[in-house]
Amino acid sequence: MTEGHWHVTFCIYRKKGDQPPFYQDFPLEVDPDEYVLDGIERIWAFHDRSLTFRHACHHSTCGACGMLVNGVEKLTCITPIRAVTKNGGTIRVEPLRNFPVLSDLVVDMAEFYLRMEQAHALQVVPVAQSTLPYEPPPFPDDGLPHQRLNDCIECGMCVSACPIALTASSYQGPAALAATQQTYSLTGEKSLLSLVDCADGVWRCHSGFECTAVCPSNVDPAWRIMELRRQVIRHRIQRIFHQDR
Amino acid sequence: MKNNQPAPGKALRWFDPRHRQPGTWAFILNRITALGLTLYLALHLIMLGKLAQGPDAYDTFIALAKTPWIKVGELLVISAGLIHGLNGIRIALTSFGIGVTVQRQLFWGFLTLALLGTVIFGYFMFFVH
Amino acid sequence: MPGIQPKAREGAFLWLIKILAGLSIVIVLGIHFVVNHLVAPEGLLNYSDVVRYYQNPWVVTMEIFFLITVVTHALIGIRSILLDLNPSDSLLSIINLILAVAGVGAVTYGIWLALEIASRGQ
Ligand code: SF4
Ligand code: FES
Repeated sequence: MTEGHWHVTFCIYRKKGDQPPFYQDFPLEVDPDEYVLDGIERIWAFHDRSLTFRHACHHSTCGACGMLVNGVEKLTCITPIRAVTKNGGTIRVEPLRNFPVLSDLVVDMAEFYLRMEQAHALQVVPVAQSTLPYEPPPFPDDGLPHQRLNDCIECGMCVSACPIALTASSYQGPAALAATQQTYSLTGEKSLLSLVDCADGVWRCHSGFECTAVCPSNVDPAWRIMELRRQVIRHRIQRIFHQDR
Repeated sequence: MKNNQPAPGKALRWFDPRHRQPGTWAFILNRITALGLTLYLALHLIMLGKLAQGPDAYDTFIALAKTPWIKVGELLVISAGLIHGLNGIRIALTSFGIGVTVQRQLFWGFLTLALLGTVIFGYFMFFVH
Repeated sequence: MPGIQPKAREGAFLWLIKILAGLSIVIVLGIHFVVNHLVAPEGLLNYSDVVRYYQNPWVVTMEIFFLITVVTHALIGIRSILLDLNPSDSLLSIINLILAVAGVGAVTYGIWLALEIASRGQ
């Protein structure tokens, strides 16, 4: 169902080493049903081999391709060009916010991954155990066995979208807090609560709900942060009555 | 390699509503009104000190407070109070896990109430009293 | 690379106080507003009205309670905004001191003022 080809301009953030960043335009002929990542790969393949960006799976599983597309966090491998521009339009691609830029579109996620590890983020959580407050979408009625997983793919887009992460580098961030809530609700491990009951943890959130809006994986970090607050308060109150904990 | 990192100097970008969701609009409104109301609280406390100086000082001050421009300022304070207070209820509710899934609707609802309240107060201030 | 290092700074306690103070403000401010600006025939009370109003001990109690909650909520809120700017520990202790002095000062001044006005009636 393609309607011929579109002419769009990719306006890409470039940054190497200590040089100042700049934007570089790449006019491209694309199929509007291609994904933004396809365009970026094409630029790398045919126009500029020095362009760096991260990607792996091409199907929203690895979480590597998160970027800022026209100012909004997107997994570029599943974002159709049609959804972010029009024929003759521009697609501005920038690295995620709130992470140091290593080169062009590649950001340094090392500390983010470390925090996920400290939060004991679980690799795989079936939707049935995901504790979200609403029903997951129904499975297709095709007689095949289905199992839906509710996983943070560690793309970092929630941290990029968070207005608090903009100024407070020590804020643990939505992904790590969401992971803590998920792990705590399945394991009941109390030490997780003391990790987040602090200024840089659940109490730093100011309810912007941006994380939930950009999360590509239905983790709903904002809801989980609120839920984690409840669990922290509940635990605190319990501790008043049972000194032994 | 230090660019693009979180930095306190980026605080002004808190107030940039572009590409943001209603949650952030609420956050922006809440923060601006918070700062404004704190300033007002300080001024209010200082001005009430006129009471201690006796009837003349205070009643002159009240006469000044009834001039239209001061009234507009007061209406702004009332509006800020309504926005901050009603959105505060939204934040308190969602912080206890209540209504998180309808936080957008709560935002629009409370904002409407705040604007309505402002109109009502404005009507009383300018046309009744 | 520090990862997560929990620091006390703002725990559940301060946060709960902020929320509870906020909620009581919503209630008391409602009463305060209606009395001071709608019931008062001239829109704003004049001096003798204020003094008469403060003869009621419940009013004095309510206004002082209101003062304390507002100042508390405002200062914890300001501190919370400053915390978003990631201050160093030493800077934060200075901030804490300034806010505490401002808070105690404002509350003391306000209570003195309320009692002073109340005493004018006799
Ligand atoms: S919570 Fe969502 S947005 Fe954040 S890292 Fe995980 S998958 Fe990405
Ligand atoms: S390339 Fe793996 S999520 Fe996009």
